[in-house]
Amino acid sequence: MTDMSKLTLPADRRPPRGRHPKAPKTPEPYVATDELTTAVNLAIYLRRPLLLEGDAGCGKSRLARYAAYELGLPLYEWSVRSTSRAKDGLYTYDSILRLHDVQLQRHGSQETGGDDREFGRKATKRDPESPMEYVTFGALGKAFKEEDCPAVVLIDEIDKADIDFPNDLLTVLDDPWKFEIHEADEPPVQAKHPPIVIITSNKEKGNLPAPFLRRCIYYYIEFPSDRLKEIVDAHYAARAKEEKIAAPPGDLVEAASERFLRIRDKGDLYKKPGTSEFLDWLEALRGFRELKDVVQLLRDPDAKLIYPELLFKLRADWQRYARA
Amino acid sequence: MNEAEAKPLLLDLFRRLRRAGAVLGIGELLAAYRVVDEGWGGGDTEALRQLGRLLWCKSVQEAADFEEIFDAAAAARAHVPTEPPSPEVEKEPVEPQPTPEQPPSEPPPSIPATEPPRRETGLAALPLRAPPQPQLPEAGEDLRAYWPVSRRSMVYTWRYLRRPVKDGPRNVLDLAATVERAARRGLFLEAVYERRETNHAHLVLLVDQGGSMVPFHRFTRDLVETACVESPIGQVDVAYFHNVPPDRLYRDAYLTEPLPLEHALAGCTPDSSILLVGDAGAARGYRNLQRVRSSTQLLVRLKRLTTLIAWLNPMPRHRWPGTSAELIAHLVPMFQMDADGFSNAVDVLRGQPLHPRG
Repeated sequence: MTDMSKLTLPADRRPPRGRHPKAPKTPEPYVATDELTTAVNLAIYLRRPLLLEGDAGCGKSRLARYAAYELGLPLYEWSVRSTSRAKDGLYTYDSILRLHDVQLQRHGSQETGGDDREFGRKATKRDPESPMEYVTFGALGKAFKEEDCPAVVLIDEIDKADIDFPNDLLTVLDDPWKFEIHEADEPPVQAKHPPIVIITSNKEKGNLPAPFLRRCIYYYIEFPSDRLKEIVDAHYAARAKEEKIAAPPGDLVEAASERFLRIRDKGDLYKKPGTSEFLDWLEALRGFRELKDVVQLLRDPDAKLIYPELLFKLRADWQRYARA
Repeated sequence: MNEAEAKPLLLDLFRRLRRAGAVLGIGELLAAYRVVDEGWGGGDTEALRQLGRLLWCKSVQEAADFEEIFDAAAAARAHVPTEPPSPEVEKEPVEPQPTPEQPPSEPPPSIPATEPPRRETGLAALPLRAPPQPQLPEAGEDLRAYWPVSRRSMVYTWRYLRRPVKDGPRNVLDLAATVERAARRGLFLEAVYERRETNHAHLVLLVDQGGSMVPFHRFTRDLVETACVESPIGQVDVAYFHNVPPDRLYRDAYLTEPLPLEHALAGCTPDSSILLVGDAGAARGYRNLQRVRSSTQLLVRLKRLTTLIAWLNPMPRHRWPGTSAELIAHLVPMFQMDADGFSNAVDVLRGQPLHPRG
């Protein structure tokens, strides 16, 4: 492994003491190609969002966790839904709660809440005089408030949201990297370290808008056909530490990946299984039940496929292979 | 290749990409320069190719085109590497860090240039890279040339077709009313909610299908799908016809389930909008009086129901003269199917045409 295949953070943006206390503690098993690593490094260097596309289950979201762990930075995940608005990622403001508190205060019974959230609403006794106590920061908002180093922000499945969503985000994810909290008379929240933004998309609603794409570094994650073995090794090396699980024997991995790739590359599947499905399948082959001659069965192209329910998720695919 | 050679190549590449229709601004060029200044693309042509692809390509399709354009630009600059750059030259500025763990506290002056995985050479002078071929519903090379309205802009434009009525569930907080009521009562009892607005627009889509419309099926499919699924329009009725509108209508795009015209128009009120989509003979250059007559009959009938009628023609306007489309365009506002034409058509459908007809 040479240095260029490592994620690199410019020196002035590295966390003090090597790792941020909120950085992920458990390593994320991930095998990144050199080009993907370059893409992440470029995104970090140019302070632009990295847009990832690719088949489901090929490791788009996991890249953010991997980057956060490798660089020792805090990770904030934002799973976008169909109702998400761009503002939700920055903050939400609870005006009803404030109104409620004003009323209670006037009637003498001050309520105490046990809310020990770190950002925004931090007082156990809320003071309706100060609007900031009714502000809850979202993933981007938290990342903007990191003092010592940038945070990694994962905006997962951006295409799920309304079509205006990416454009609304654009103004925030650019110089001067600040946003205002309109409900409070506070100075705008200014990011000391612009966050490293990783965005995933499945293109469910067609292309993202052109101005948004123009800002992004784009990378298409392909199915890692030639790296399955490496991925399996990384995956089980990580699990061995936590759960004391032995890696599957080498001939099983080889036979399984051969069979898997043969089915996948044949090109007649409606939905191709991804890396995560392969790992699940391999885990089932390894430890679900004692099977005799698994390797033999996998190598025999005429034998019935074992555990097809893990690989085929559409009826047509199922009927073609599971029943064969 | 050093920095002084890399920049002209990037500039040339940038110009070529823009000419090919890529959406790139001067900011993208400057970003690439910044990266080169830091010594990223300094390694060789392959490193520059990778840099350009990451920075300037926004889809798999574009990345495939990019390879060709890059090859052309590199060849034009006469930097054709007849053999792979010798590793000694590359290694010189980029000493691999021996420590594999945490980077040293001393900042490296530059982030090391990237070195792409070496491929077999000797097959061709230029290292070629097969374009990635994932399973994406994207058009082939030939179909990409004609792209008048993107699916996304259809979704945007449909939004303007709305007739909001507050009759949804009562679940929208009326902040002003809540505060006002609390102030009047002297205490806050409950929040005031108001009804959610729903879109009561009604759209009837009559789509010409098959025959001369086959090349445009992609657009009509997108049009119907976006209107039905991705638009806020309350009610969308779709009916298909072949060539001449009033003959027969069908419920499905394969013209198998007949649908009487009365049924298709049953839900029409004066507030309903009717959009006809068809080439009206312009695709093949017909001027068929029979066709004009039956279209006229239909239009007269539709005009009794509503005035919000527009016709979207996938053929450009300059192909209409001399065909039945020219005649029909006198009877109904007809627009060519590009982004402008489509939004003008929607303006007519919502009763606020840009240029009211006298």
